[in-house]
Amino acid sequence: MPKDINKPIDPVTLQVIRGSIETIAEEMAHVLFRMSFSSIIRESEDLGAGLFDTDFNTLCESESTPMHIGSIPGYLQGIADSLDDGEWYEGDVVVHNHPYLGSSHTPDLAIVIPIFHEGELVGYAGNTAHHIDIGAATPGLIIDVPDVYAEGMLFAGTKLYRKGERNETMWNFIRNNSRAARQLVDDIEAQIASARLGVKRFKELMERYGKDLVFGACNQLMDYSEKMLRQRISDIPDGEYRAEGWLDDDGRNRGQTLPVKVCVRVVGDTIEVDLTGSAPQTPTAYNVPFEGSTKVAAFAAFRKLLLDTATSDTRVPSNQGSFRPIKVTAPEGTIFNPIAPASAEARFTQCNFMIDLILKAMAPVLPEDIIAGSSASISFASYAGVRDDGEYWVFLEVNEGAYGGRPDSDGPDAIDNLMANTRNNPLEDLAMHIPMICERYELRDDVMPGAGKHRGGIGVVKSQRMLTDGIITHESERHTNVPWGIFGGTEGAAGKCEIYNFSSTEPPRQMHSKFHGEDVRKDDVMAYYSPCGGGYGSPLERTPEKVLDDVLDGFCTPQHARDIYGVVLDLDAETVDVAATEALRQTMDTLR
Amino acid sequence: MARIGVDVGGTNTDLVLECNKGTFFHKVPSTLKDQSIGVVEGIHQICEIAGIDKEAIEVINHGTTVATNITIEHNGAEVGMLTTKGFRDILHIGRHKRPHNFSLHFEVPWQNRPLVKRRNRIAITERILPPTGEIETPLNEDEIRSACALFRKRGIKSVCIGFMFSFLNDAHEKRARDIVLEEIPDAYVSVSSDVANVIREYERFSTVAMNAFVGPRSAWYLRNLEQKVKDGGIPAKLRVIQSNGGISTIDGCARKPVSILMSGPAGGVLGALSEARLAGTDNILTVDIGGTSADISTIAAGEMRIKNPRDTLVSGHAVMAPMIDLETIGAGGGSIAYLDEAGGFNVGPRSAGSEPGPACYNRGGTEPTVTDAQVVLGRMDADKFLGGDLPLDPELSHKAIKEKIADPLGVSVTEAALGIIKIVNNNMALTIRSNSVARGYDPREFSLMPFGGAGPFHGVALAELVSAKDVLVPIAPGITAAMGLLGTDLQYEHTRSVITSLFNADQGAIDRVNATVAELKNVGKADLENDGIPEVQQNFDVIAEVRYHGQGFELRVPMPKEGLALENVPDVISAFHKQHKADYGYSFDDSLVELYNVRVIASASVRHLELTPLSLGSQDDIKAAFMYERETIFDDGSVHMTPRLDRGKLGAGTRVEGPAIIIQHNSTTLLPPGYAAEVQDFGSLRLSKS
Repeated sequence: MPKDINKPIDPVTLQVIRGSIETIAEEMAHVLFRMSFSSIIRESEDLGAGLFDTDFNTLCESESTPMHIGSIPGYLQGIADSLDDGEWYEGDVVVHNHPYLGSSHTPDLAIVIPIFHEGELVGYAGNTAHHIDIGAATPGLIIDVPDVYAEGMLFAGTKLYRKGERNETMWNFIRNNSRAARQLVDDIEAQIASARLGVKRFKELMERYGKDLVFGACNQLMDYSEKMLRQRISDIPDGEYRAEGWLDDDGRNRGQTLPVKVCVRVVGDTIEVDLTGSAPQTPTAYNVPFEGSTKVAAFAAFRKLLLDTATSDTRVPSNQGSFRPIKVTAPEGTIFNPIAPASAEARFTQCNFMIDLILKAMAPVLPEDIIAGSSASISFASYAGVRDDGEYWVFLEVNEGAYGGRPDSDGPDAIDNLMANTRNNPLEDLAMHIPMICERYELRDDVMPGAGKHRGGIGVVKSQRMLTDGIITHESERHTNVPWGIFGGTEGAAGKCEIYNFSSTEPPRQMHSKFHGEDVRKDDVMAYYSPCGGGYGSPLERTPEKVLDDVLDGFCTPQHARDIYGVVLDLDAETVDVAATEALRQTMDTLR
Repeated sequence: MARIGVDVGGTNTDLVLECNKGTFFHKVPSTLKDQSIGVVEGIHQICEIAGIDKEAIEVINHGTTVATNITIEHNGAEVGMLTTKGFRDILHIGRHKRPHNFSLHFEVPWQNRPLVKRRNRIAITERILPPTGEIETPLNEDEIRSACALFRKRGIKSVCIGFMFSFLNDAHEKRARDIVLEEIPDAYVSVSSDVANVIREYERFSTVAMNAFVGPRSAWYLRNLEQKVKDGGIPAKLRVIQSNGGISTIDGCARKPVSILMSGPAGGVLGALSEARLAGTDNILTVDIGGTSADISTIAAGEMRIKNPRDTLVSGHAVMAPMIDLETIGAGGGSIAYLDEAGGFNVGPRSAGSEPGPACYNRGGTEPTVTDAQVVLGRMDADKFLGGDLPLDPELSHKAIKEKIADPLGVSVTEAALGIIKIVNNNMALTIRSNSVARGYDPREFSLMPFGGAGPFHGVALAELVSAKDVLVPIAPGITAAMGLLGTDLQYEHTRSVITSLFNADQGAIDRVNATVAELKNVGKADLENDGIPEVQQNFDVIAEVRYHGQGFELRVPMPKEGLALENVPDVISAFHKQHKADYGYSFDDSLVELYNVRVIASASVRHLELTPLSLGSQDDIKAAFMYERETIFDDGSVHMTPRLDRGKLGAGTRVEGPAIIIQHNSTTLLPPGYAAEVQDFGSLRLSKS
């Protein structure tokens, strides 16, 4: 975009234009999830939408799933490098998902429409959304595949419309290459409707205020976001902050853990996230596309940590400025920056884990801002089968996790974690439409969360039963690496996953955290138990009434209350035995 | 014969009385501990003012925030819940989506402030299977009795029942209710298939839990009010305004208080609607501007919009009860203007409220507010505020704006004040747009109606920003909501899920849908008969909630009057395509269309507020109305010597050319240069470009 538009805009007009572009992004997202068909978009809102300039800067983006926010610039660069015809025409609509040309991962198709103003290309309206099936090796999700070509259809700068004219050949091709063609095609239509709305609204804005003023304001807003973030960074003492951990395995080579190393380098008002020392790239799909996912996760980590929207009155605009102060380094050929043709579809848990480690690394200098270890994984499951008429059904489900204890409050229970922020599928709606039924959806009661002044969040257990034979692929983490406690808090609980048959007495099979293309029988149930968060601060400092509440609510046993928290209860009267508690805590404190 | 509308707000209780002597308005302070005291007091006073006997009052229509306040203050009943084994934590998990994307320290309302604590959510062995509703596991009645024993021990008197798939078969829920009433005879029992008989477990459970949470106190308040009215020697029937704009009986609302959570703001929209009718205008964008927030809604073709039940959240909890589609934003007279650490200029959502209030109130507020900006710009005359009841200190406004905004930005105080107004107007305009344009309405076909005391200050600016046709200022902007209470109908809504593919519906499927509709009509009919409404006055609207198979959100289309039949199914389908296109700009004409819920609205028209037209005015009225003139600064920065006119002296048809400020008790209309105000037949003002 014209960089020369540097004339300062008065703060009032700036605020007006900011409100307008933010509303446009929200409207785009709204149309997309309201119109779409697959539950992963309409219920889970696994999507992102926004406006971009010709230098691929994000001008604004919708508040949807964080994993999408900040990923579209990578797509735009990739499109520029591969665009059909080599140039944009008014009326073009492009689909793109190539992970080695900037995409976040292949199922997240981007739809991009150029914005022309008086014949000149001035920017783009675009969105990304997760599609349930793009013809990969197995239905829905994949893990144990040899390379990127097993991920399904790869689109690179592919025009679905050229100069306003529909490319029917391409649409037919797409329809013939998906197990859920109808949903895929209709959801792409929803994406196009959303992007078209963005183009229309942005043109209206330029007509009203003039192109130069609008882009001048956008530039100023990016500078503003950048300035806000730089101010927060400069409050952190310069230095190198490190943390490390591991991932369970790559989905094929069982028992071989994968190290993740994070070094956060703070110099003045800049930050470098250096992932050097993390595992080499894996031979499966368990790799993270660098541009579209690794960088995006690192940006998000610092937005959460330094620009927390819940604790600050000031909302910082969601634009390119908030990415600029952060540099991300990951050597080529490693899990966070794989080299083609490695597959890189299953990348979510690594991103969440990286953020968790960034928080751990920053604990010594930001003790009041960080939180204890979270589930920091994701449970992403695809269930599929073939209906009597020979058509596939495919259902993707995102299961939630739990947060670590926090400086001023307990970690939230059963809630989407870090880069994920989807909505669950209503179980009743699911059962009316798909041959599955839920057996159990509750908080875990087989383990307790990390204890602390503020306890960790409690994970969820979800048991889904197949009503026909079918196939399940599941991507999750932390069966071995338990979320840590911090500042005296104890560690949380690992995740687990079991498959058993509803109508048989065979004991459940313990599953690995990632498994691919598992054939299941009618009445097989997959029970997923998400990890629980670690505690923050010493359990002896927890208010006894809160411990009582937890015992009454079944989050803590009376034994645990006594042994770990030093709280003695009168369970009949449902009260704290204050004197006994004080005495016990004193003894425990001296023994510490 | 006389009727009263009484609207209880946070500060004032507004009353409107209509009788053969005319229409009377009155305000008394709200009695927040027990709203009924102020209500009864106000009724006595307004009768005295009108000089009528309180025995002449036939009906009292009441708008209340009692239930709303319980949710805001989170001080409802301790609730016990019976739910299906394996699903004890549906209320704790919600939709598992965080309220914030970029935050580590966020709150989770449904976990931090639960409607039912986990210890009181008791899982019961039972199971109903989809898709038919057959019983797989019978209800374990002993478990219910032990749960009741625990509730008794804990002193719990409000119990809700929410079982999985009860929308397919309510037998277990009904039986559980009977057992609870045997075990705890004075319990307030809420049953999910009664309160919200629709699919989606979290939303249904949350709705029934909310009913149980606000139920006992709301019921107590309503019954107490009824008693106090009776004890006060007032023989009138008492009715309550519901969130969907309909009125209902005390009994109905006491059983189902989730239906009155938005009773207060609904009155405002109804008031706007009746004003619009009087002025012969069908399309209205309503903006109700108060001290801390503005409520925004759209009336198209004379109809209020009802919110998609999937979007209705109350204090962070899902509540599937029909509500007027209304958006509230933190923009009002008390909204605080501030510069953030990177120099960004913001107004609201934080508000100075009424304590300490704007800086000019001289109650210790030092931060500049929108009201302070109006004072600095010479639009609010400090010595005349509320008829001189509350004198303002303009020096304090000036100081606050200078220190907090103007000096740091290096601009004049006037420029800073204009900036505050412009930003707050823009915030409101964006919400108006998302409530109208984003839903397919063309604002150029709409009049903007600003009300609330501060509303008419912003009317013209907002109309310009959203490109509305013109501005319609109601007769009494400060009490529009109370007037609305006399302008609405009795109304009961009943919904049930009837998931049916319309594309391949056979006669059997159609019969099932019609049978459900007939059943819901009977329930609605019984409601109306209970109110003594004769059959000829009963009216039934049947709405189909439809979506494309596989979508997650339904849209509403009317069901054919004669009932669903093989021949008219295509009409329903094409009406849905049309609605989808209107809402989202696209329709999937070859996709399967699925009927999801049917909704029956049983209503009976009641007499609406009848105002007498103003007597015809003349241009001399302007002279008579002239009070004084002062320098005033308008949005474009221009300064004009601007006359203050007494609105009460302007007769029908009078045309006032801007600049002018038109004053009445509790409200001030800003008429910028280049605009003219025309007094309408019943006294509203239409402002448009000269």
